[in-house]
Amino acid sequence: MNFDNSHEAKEGANEKGTPLGVLYLGICERERTYWQTILLSSPKLGLDVHVDQLQSLPQATTMAESICRALRDGALEGEHAPALTIKDSIDAPLGFDVFAHVLAQLSSHILAGKSQSRGLVLVAFTRSPSFYVDLLKERGLEVNSSRKWIQILDCYSDPHGWKDRIMGQGKVDDATKEASGVSRLCKDVKDMDKLCSLAIELGKDLLGEGKGRFSFALDSVNEMLRYASVHSVARVLSDLRSHDLASCVFWLLHSDLLEDKVAAVFDYMSSMVASLESAIPASNGLRISLENLSLTEQNFRRAKFSVRFKRRNGRVRLMSEEVSIERSGITFSSVSTDGGTMGGSLLPKVQFNLQLSEKEQMDRAKVVLPFEHQGNGEPIEIYDGRRSLADKNNEAAGTMQMKDSSKGEIIYLRDSDDEMPDSDEDPDDDLDI
Amino acid sequence: MATPRTRASSFSRNVPSTAAPQVPGVKSGPNGTLFLSSGISDLDKILGGGFPLGSLVVVMEDPEAPHHMLLLRNFMSQGLVLNQPLLYASPAKDPRGFLGTLPSPVSSKDDKPLDRDSEQEKGLRIAWQYKKYFGENQPNSNSQRDNKFEFCNEFDLRKPLQRQFLSGQRVECMSTQDSSDLAALHDRCATFLKQFFRTDGNISGAGRIAIQSFCAPQCTYFDKEWHVLSFIRSLRSMIRSSNAVVILSFPPSLLSPSFSKRLQHMADTLLSVRAIPDEDKDLAKLLTGYQDMIGLLSVHKVARINTQVPIILEAATFSIKLQKRKFLVLECLNQAPVDGSSGTSYATSGSCSVSSKGGSLDF
Repeated sequence: MNFDNSHEAKEGANEKGTPLGVLYLGICERERTYWQTILLSSPKLGLDVHVDQLQSLPQATTMAESICRALRDGALEGEHAPALTIKDSIDAPLGFDVFAHVLAQLSSHILAGKSQSRGLVLVAFTRSPSFYVDLLKERGLEVNSSRKWIQILDCYSDPHGWKDRIMGQGKVDDATKEASGVSRLCKDVKDMDKLCSLAIELGKDLLGEGKGRFSFALDSVNEMLRYASVHSVARVLSDLRSHDLASCVFWLLHSDLLEDKVAAVFDYMSSMVASLESAIPASNGLRISLENLSLTEQNFRRAKFSVRFKRRNGRVRLMSEEVSIERSGITFSSVSTDGGTMGGSLLPKVQFNLQLSEKEQMDRAKVVLPFEHQGNGEPIEIYDGRRSLADKNNEAAGTMQMKDSSKGEIIYLRDSDDEMPDSDEDPDDDLDI
Repeated sequence: MATPRTRASSFSRNVPSTAAPQVPGVKSGPNGTLFLSSGISDLDKILGGGFPLGSLVVVMEDPEAPHHMLLLRNFMSQGLVLNQPLLYASPAKDPRGFLGTLPSPVSSKDDKPLDRDSEQEKGLRIAWQYKKYFGENQPNSNSQRDNKFEFCNEFDLRKPLQRQFLSGQRVECMSTQDSSDLAALHDRCATFLKQFFRTDGNISGAGRIAIQSFCAPQCTYFDKEWHVLSFIRSLRSMIRSSNAVVILSFPPSLLSPSFSKRLQHMADTLLSVRAIPDEDKDLAKLLTGYQDMIGLLSVHKVARINTQVPIILEAATFSIKLQKRKFLVLECLNQAPVDGSSGTSYATSGSCSVSSKGGSLDF
């Protein structure tokens, strides 16, 4: 994850002289938000502070809604855009459905004007633009409305430019009329830098003259990795995230097609990781029997959906839900979370607190220690064989006797009753060096 | 243990070194080592004085939390405040932007977090019957505090560093994104370290190098693991013969395990930061101060260059907290008071596992 901010420090913004105006300049992604959460309690500084949105989540919403909300709210000034990875595997192959759901949600927010981004650039590798247009139309989202809000970078129809070379001047893609209006063909997907700049160009095109930001959706990172190396794909993603005008980025990933190291790269680069796992515990993966078959069939309809949010204060929030695909669409339902199981494994042996709090220190200061009264300048009282202190001790003994005599005739004379009441029984006590 | 002697030093912890080092910001320690401060006074204490000059400090990042940035920032600010030149390399296209986030030191007028250690030493009350013969023999740690100010400052994370520290030739920045075989970074480090070549005489100045997110995935050298290792090896050899400290952070989960292990072995001081789960009820029950914690710091290795005696730490994991939302402090993990009913949650990792049963055999 690129924690650094590639933005130039904007010098002019802090002319007001508030030293803390400098805070918002050239600040790294999460650093800025550290300071935001810190500054929440200082309104006198006169700065406009954004509340950490994830903090104010009502608990009743599902996780999917919270993801979509995070994408909708987008990036703060001087920060990298939030990035979502949707991960699935063969055991829970519902990744594309979740991706389509998030896409549709974000699109509806964009159309309704509720989101920070005013447009969406979809980089399509696994499906044609017409497929997406139909998908969005099914959910009531018109692609060719009056305002341009979506652009599709078509890396599916002719990724290497072969069709173009073969057919010459003829029509390359068989996109429908609707789709061709919003899609742009990319003929050389191996050049990731070019792809990135093309995507950004499409985004700027969406904005037109106005201000605002736009979002990116990448259909499948696995496809990108077929054409280019890990670091170029990672570069594309970090460039998209760190672009000034990017509002949010999200992508789909099939984790079992990648090595662990590579999958870790995409976890590193995202701020939210949504993974789909099989809802049914895998018993014996290879044997397919009649019972297993019906269970594995269920994997095509249900899955466990868990999300790790990397919060701005550096903590990680884990949430878990169940997702199921019905004929009517996709639904998310919450399960009882057994959160916190990772906590215990993190910690080593934990000690008890040996420090003192303020109150405890004050209390400790009040305690009178046994020999303390001796060094205070008062005459040092040492028993030296004379019963000069006998009066005092007799008094003490007397009260003891008094108490005892009421009950019976137990007279107790301490062997060492000539000692001072609160000194140790130290035979060296009479030493006077 | 309390032998009656007239020397005050039997009770004092840090014997102040008689030879004051010529250079501010460099402290001398046992065995002739010289230390630079990490910028976090708690970390200096844990490591036994600071980062030794000529050592490589490696911080293992957690992909889920940016706490390594806090360590880097304090390190860099400390160097700039003490006028020590700094070279900063990061995978961003424009690393200079990061300099805007460096914290500024707290001036003495502002309230500082209490120096807990000296408080306790001053207030150490001994109930000792021979005390009356010797009067008050208190270790005087006041002079040490003044020295410490020149070595390690408290940083206020809310305030950015003043511009005067950032200007001038003191700070060099470099982007590591495009270097395909790290040659450029290597050359830059070599020229930077030439200024601090170590001779037998007095040291003239000390320098700091901070390399952030080494092996970030967007860098071109990301896959070339052997190049990475040979770079680190030659960096180590360069730094051994110079008066500087290099701090380097890398994400271990992105390297293959064997290379990650090799890189960790090359470190003189190895730290790692970890994220903690949010709103975790078990952790909240287990630890005190869970609400203030933002992460965990573990110390895996402490540099011991001039000696064969290792440092054995009482605790290797510390919690990172922001005190008063300004100051970075590291604290030992403290277990929350356990009530009798819930003693089972962590009992298995304690010394005796029988206690987890409880039941009818409560003694």
